[in-house]
Amino acid sequence: MADLFEGYAAEAEATAAWDEVFEAPDTPRGVYSSLYDALQPLSSSDLAGRKAALDRAFRDAGITFNLFGEERPFPLDLVPRLLDNPEWEIIERGITQRIRTLEAFLADVYGRAEVLEDGIVPRRLVLSSAHFHRAAHGIDPPNGVRAHVSGIDLIRDEQGGFRVLEDNVRVPSGVSYVVENRRAMTRVFPELFATHRVRPVADYAAHLLYALRAAGPPDVADPTVVVLTPGVYNSAYFEHALLARQMGVELVEGRDLTVRNNNVTMRTTEGDKPVHVVYRRIDDDWLDPLHFRPESVVGCAGLLNAARAGRVTIANAVGNGVADDKLMYTYVPDLIRYYLGEEPILANVDTYRLEEPDQRAHVLERLDQLVLKPVDGSGGKGIVIGPQASAAELDALRAKIEADPRGWIAQRVVRLSTSPTLADDRLGPRHVDLRPFAVNDGTKIWVLPGGLTRVALPRGSLIVNSSQGGGSKDTWVLAPEASTRESVSIRNRPAGMSPPVAEGPDIGPSASSDQQQQQQQQQRRQLVVVRPC
Amino acid sequence: MLSRVAESLFWIGRYSERAEHTARILDVHVQRVLEDPWLDEASAGRELLAVMGLPAPDGETDSRGVTELLAFDPDNPSSITGAICAARENARGARDVVSSEVWECLNATWNDLSHSEQLARRLGPHVFFRTIRERTAMLAGLVDATLARDDGWRFLVLGRSLERVDMTGRLLSSSISEDPASQSWVSLLRSCGAHEAYLRTYRRAVDASRVAEFLLLDRLFPRSVYWSLSMAEQILAELDGARGRARFTLDDKARRIVGRTRTELEFRSVDELVDDMPDLLVSLQRTCSTVSEAVTTRYFARDAPRSWATEVPA
Amino acid sequence: MSWQVRVEHSTGYRYGNPVISSYNEARIVPQTASGQVTLEADVRTEPAATTYRYWDYWGTQVTAFDIHGPHQELIVTGRSVVQTASGRGRPTNVPRWTALADEPVTDRFVEFIRPSHSAPDHPELADTARELAARHTPDEFVPAVGDWVRERLTYRHGTTGVHTSAVDAWKQGEGVCQDFAHLALVLMRAAGLPARYVSGYLHPSADAAVGETVVGQSHAWVEGWLGDWWGFDPTNGVAVGEQHVIVARGRDYNDVPPLLGVYSGGSSTSLGVTVAVTRLG
Repeated sequence: MADLFEGYAAEAEATAAWDEVFEAPDTPRGVYSSLYDALQPLSSSDLAGRKAALDRAFRDAGITFNLFGEERPFPLDLVPRLLDNPEWEIIERGITQRIRTLEAFLADVYGRAEVLEDGIVPRRLVLSSAHFHRAAHGIDPPNGVRAHVSGIDLIRDEQGGFRVLEDNVRVPSGVSYVVENRRAMTRVFPELFATHRVRPVADYAAHLLYALRAAGPPDVADPTVVVLTPGVYNSAYFEHALLARQMGVELVEGRDLTVRNNNVTMRTTEGDKPVHVVYRRIDDDWLDPLHFRPESVVGCAGLLNAARAGRVTIANAVGNGVADDKLMYTYVPDLIRYYLGEEPILANVDTYRLEEPDQRAHVLERLDQLVLKPVDGSGGKGIVIGPQASAAELDALRAKIEADPRGWIAQRVVRLSTSPTLADDRLGPRHVDLRPFAVNDGTKIWVLPGGLTRVALPRGSLIVNSSQGGGSKDTWVLAPEASTRESVSIRNRPAGMSPPVAEGPDIGPSASSDQQQQQQQQQRRQLVVVRPC
Repeated sequence: MLSRVAESLFWIGRYSERAEHTARILDVHVQRVLEDPWLDEASAGRELLAVMGLPAPDGETDSRGVTELLAFDPDNPSSITGAICAARENARGARDVVSSEVWECLNATWNDLSHSEQLARRLGPHVFFRTIRERTAMLAGLVDATLARDDGWRFLVLGRSLERVDMTGRLLSSSISEDPASQSWVSLLRSCGAHEAYLRTYRRAVDASRVAEFLLLDRLFPRSVYWSLSMAEQILAELDGARGRARFTLDDKARRIVGRTRTELEFRSVDELVDDMPDLLVSLQRTCSTVSEAVTTRYFARDAPRSWATEVPA
Repeated sequence: MSWQVRVEHSTGYRYGNPVISSYNEARIVPQTASGQVTLEADVRTEPAATTYRYWDYWGTQVTAFDIHGPHQELIVTGRSVVQTASGRGRPTNVPRWTALADEPVTDRFVEFIRPSHSAPDHPELADTARELAARHTPDEFVPAVGDWVRERLTYRHGTTGVHTSAVDAWKQGEGVCQDFAHLALVLMRAAGLPARYVSGYLHPSADAAVGETVVGQSHAWVEGWLGDWWGFDPTNGVAVGEQHVIVARGRDYNDVPPLLGVYSGGSSTSLGVTVAVTRLG
């Protein structure tokens, strides 16, 4: 056994989680066998060298995120995470099903609210949600899409099944890391791509642009799309710039936009130019000072009414947060049955609603065994993992829950699956999750093959968020062997036939060998002449 | 092109050119102090700072002190470090428009600044100046090789040209010497990378009036003031051309100023040139800032930063 | 008997410095609902602006507009002719307190039972509400709350602002119609009675002559759910009738501000409000 995997089996055993790579000590699962064969002969210094090159490349390209005001390269682990095609198809279908449901739910609560009338979700939960924006009532997106981009967080439980941990239909971020991770991996580990048929992720921006254009006002034939960023100091600024660049659209800040009479324009060197679709990467609260925080300088006054008047489309729609808070999450399986008449393909993690007195009492007795999450939290903020918390922390938590039961949910501690991750100079099992990204263009929901695998770098940690010391892995969905689409050869040339060879580039005049010889002799003679002086 | 982004590109051009020229000017200065035993180091330092628009500091103005201020001071946007930071900051705000390679070049330069600075403190400032010259040359090359010749490129090159006029002016000011045959003229040419070009052009020893003529008026050398002004003029015409073509007077203020300055230079004799040099250089600098303002007003159209207040409800 | 009333409502701001742009929403057009019919309505602004009209979540007609170019004053004038609803007596078949506490009712009216920003809960006020509720059936309770509020608050202009909460006004012991309404809402909700805030206009005299234009006021009152919504004016201690013109309903003032906006530059002061009402028939 190579030293890279030394001690891995024992450590993995101790985590009591599903291991992504090994089904038994030293026995990789089928999908990983060729990766294992490729990694095993490598030495740790080899990996460390590649890792250093990678970090340097990320830093130069500015692929960083802001942590406590400092720019750090986003830590990419070198060992990719692999998914075979049958497994991926389940995920794809499950995510599509979930997004169709969330779209239906959003259209409903911002419209006729039948789901509340039918008592599927208690009205009080929706109406007391901090993200239910009454100002968004009556804004009908032109092609019916509210979640143009979604990120659904998945984890694999101890039995190896995928479960949904969280839905993100507001402004999910991280897709730029998927794209950049792949680009970096092809440079650092070109040999692995020769032995694996990895489905590409580079066309994400093309799908996004298509969906955004499809979402434009119906009376505009050639809609202008912009990406709205809070600015260079935002932690996801890199991603905003990347998406704008790859879509070939303007990256605007709030101060570049003006609304007059419900027409949105951007200020250019050639005067004001109309804008029809705003892919905004600003939270609802800061988007429009007229309806939300008046002190916002990153937003654009009048934007919401322009959307209401149908002159501009805001993507994702305002008020989506009502569908993805962690309490509403517990109702999603019911919503799938209600709206689609289907059984959920991907299960939820078992969750207690603390808002209900019985469940609350049950949970309060077992705080030390459960994970407690604030309903509105994001980025892993405020999460308390019972078994790892001190008595004082639990007491403080208890008080918070009793003061605001609507604000919390409780879940069983799921040992997220582990994957070999470079730590110091060898590979150790670290917990991972998976955030696939989906783009809805109104006719089809397209799921980016793979997504962002986030990994908790500290040993034993279950929190994978980048703001809490998380890293990422490139995620490979392996194409099926017989896939016709992806094995097309260049220019459809039949196999075995070699291409015609073109003439080589022209070559300039060169000194003949005679000349060279004479020049050299000349030198020699000069030398001889010089000597007597 | 977004006005905000256009403005960023303009300033990327100006700041990167400024970093390069400041490195060149400082390199000459440090060299001159070393080579000329009769030179009063402190007063030469004060002269240089004055030319660069900095008030004389409380501390030393020996070449080390001057280098600190003009090369490493991060709070001064005209120091090399400050200019690189500012250029990079502007590129960050325009990342969707500048090519990845241009961005990476600037960002990597910025990442390396502290390393190069440390190296310079150990091995002498020349290594730092050389690094900056190389990186800015690489940047210029990438700008030429990877940016489409659209308005974005135009604003960047416009900024670069204006800054070059300004900086060449300062470079000349810093070298004006009583002695027309002074060695400082040679260093001046060297700092512009113009020594060989000069020699090939004139085929004789360096003298003050010819150097001035060459750096101000040469029609072919891309660092001459004339050449830079023509470049700026041409780009302003292209930017303006797509919009309202004037049949009589030019509406565009920036074009008028650049054109007038270029003509005034163009039809001046060499003798006049030498006699009027100090005034001429000052007026060149003034031209640059006026043009910069005119361009800002016309294309970048910034209004006061909008901050919203809730009206007192009625 | 219902009245036909013409209302002319004028309001606005004056700015310290010329304002470059401002975005505004006015909620001053009377509703057509619950027996009231708006026959004509027109909103104008000065400086002139193109207006955009929509109905918000609460069913209020909103007039939105933005103004560009320096201006130092903004005046919004709404003119409307309304057929008001005739006064209704106290409703019959009123649900009992226990029925109001049932899940279907509390779920349906959850927005009007929960405390809101300007009508927050307060333990002392909750005690008062429980005492009053113990002594009255829900329909008697509403006027009783009105009496209690009028006992505690003295009607006085200028001591409270639009953002004063019910609790602050109660501690101060004075306020205007808005504060009366908010305080009544706190008590009604604390007792478990769904209650909402209504903004509108009031014709000051019950025996107004037809055709005579008098100074009216923009006004606020409440509605409680007694099997159906029933309006009560705690400031004047009367049931809502033909003198009341309904503009908007919501959880409290913040859902129905008559004029709301943001602007850039300078500082703003309110120009105050003038309301002229004429009974037309």
